[in-house]
Amino acid sequence: MISSNKIMLGKFSRRWWRWGWPILTFIVVFAGLQFDARWYRQPIARVQTVQTTRVSHPVDNFENRDRIVTQKVHAVLLNTQHRGRQLTLHNTYSASGAEDAPLAKGQQVFLARSGRHYTITNIKRDAILGALISATLVLLGLIVGRHLWLTLASITANALLFILALHVEIASHQVLAFLLFSAVAVGFTVITTLFVVGAKPLAAVVAGATMLATALGVSLGYGIFVWTNYQDLHLETVKYVTQAPQLLFFVQIIIGSLGAVLDESSDIAVAIFQLNSGAKARFQAGMAIGRNVMGPLIAVLFMIFIAETFAEGVLWLRNGNAISQTVVWVMGLGFAQSLISAFGIVLTVPLTSGLAALAARWQGRQR
Amino acid sequence: MSTITGLALALLILMVLVGGKQGLSNFLALGVNTLLMISAVVLMAGGFSPVIVAVVIGLLVLATTIFLSTTRLDVAGPAFVASLLVMTGVLAVVMVGVHFSATAGFGPEDSETLEGFSVYIGVSFEQILIATGLLGTLGAIAEAASAVAAGVIELGGEATEAGLHEIQTTIIGTALNTLFFGFFGGFSALFIWFTQLKYSFATIVNNQIFVGELIQVLFSVIAVALTVPVTLWVVRRRQQPPAHQHLKP
Repeated sequence: MISSNKIMLGKFSRRWWRWGWPILTFIVVFAGLQFDARWYRQPIARVQTVQTTRVSHPVDNFENRDRIVTQKVHAVLLNTQHRGRQLTLHNTYSASGAEDAPLAKGQQVFLARSGRHYTITNIKRDAILGALISATLVLLGLIVGRHLWLTLASITANALLFILALHVEIASHQVLAFLLFSAVAVGFTVITTLFVVGAKPLAAVVAGATMLATALGVSLGYGIFVWTNYQDLHLETVKYVTQAPQLLFFVQIIIGSLGAVLDESSDIAVAIFQLNSGAKARFQAGMAIGRNVMGPLIAVLFMIFIAETFAEGVLWLRNGNAISQTVVWVMGLGFAQSLISAFGIVLTVPLTSGLAALAARWQGRQR
Repeated sequence: MSTITGLALALLILMVLVGGKQGLSNFLALGVNTLLMISAVVLMAGGFSPVIVAVVIGLLVLATTIFLSTTRLDVAGPAFVASLLVMTGVLAVVMVGVHFSATAGFGPEDSETLEGFSVYIGVSFEQILIATGLLGTLGAIAEAASAVAAGVIELGGEATEAGLHEIQTTIIGTALNTLFFGFFGGFSALFIWFTQLKYSFATIVNNQIFVGELIQVLFSVIAVALTVPVTLWVVRRRQQPPAHQHLKP
């Protein structure tokens, strides 16, 4: 054991340089994507120099002090037939930066043209996005090896299904929209299960338990909404929704918790199928595994859903709202989403353990 | 009774029914994390540097999640140490990503949210986004670190390179699904918006909100990817007998 440890650590230190690959990938892709302007139809310019022309210090009704800066920007046009032309642009930003951002030398911006004048409409972000995606893939490849392709194939298949569903034009019809996305969720479950466990009887158990637990969890959540009469729950604050916020809220919960529920279910089911004991012992083994993983899994989703509310939360508090009001209005939906997802995660434990124990016994009899 | 209280009560009952004492401890962890996250927002609005608030609250969130959801101290100890190391690395990645993507604050699609608010509030939204980026990854870090530590300690001295590789692969595969769908749920409304307004691919990959959400997913994936080998390294170093301590890599 001692010698194997020495070998492990020796190998580790000799191969330390491979951890430089993701960083190298990041730099190469980031630099490369600085030269893709000609693929765009919208005019793009690169900032060459920046001068501060005006600074003001506004104080709002809540005694918040900020700094607003106007920049005069010299830039060069990178595409369209006027490529190479020097432009003078203006940019105004605040130190807090709620709706604006400072420009710096080297940055690229999208422009809108009216006559001979150009105005800045957006910042170009494809380079950082592409660089981060590539670096992440290389990092994953270093750790999981060939298994990465399987994961990528699964994610691509799910994304294609989702894009397909988006193009079915029924968004105006609430009930149909909900049914469509429930069908998409079933599709996600089947696709992902097949990729994770393969086409075995085990897959039926995992997919079945996942769907059942999610459906039960969401129904329980809806039941509590109705029972408590939606008190202090502000579904109208669901983001980016123009109509039917409640249905989309449930769609978000179903899709959002699906991965966690599915992973938990496959962990439990795989372990149960490997055991060689009676149905009762198998059920109890499944429950023991589930108990260990459910807490951390709930924490994963909780942190994602709540951290996203920070910017709006600070904005509300700084605008003179009480803490209790901010928690209810801004963080409330995040809490509701975490809690209902948690129902699914907890319910999966007995459901998978039960189904897997039954299926394993049935399979045993078949032999 | 408010709806959130109702939901929380139902979860408490479910967790105790399924998990017994451990379920109760998990529920307690969720309660502590809730208080910590609310304090984070209050402190940031109160004028403390959002990044420092995130680091301090982050330490507490990691400790709560790891020590209250694992009953075994020999697993929780190395998992916590590894999480702290990873958190430092992730903070650097988040700072670079947030700065270069210029996704802080609110996008044009958020204008309805901002109606009637004073936006010149004197707190840096870039720093708030760094805090969001860091704290959003911590659940995933804690989960992966506990899983790796438990798996490797269970294998004990019989760990082969193939066995360790399988643990790493399984845990990363699991975490990727959880993260991918976790964020995909939030994406759904945004994507319906994009589709209805017929945004082009070029518009989407430069859109402030889309890029902001996607790099948040990438931060979490990077965090999990780093957590797995770092935890393995911490556990293996602890398994080394004292006589070999001078063999530092």
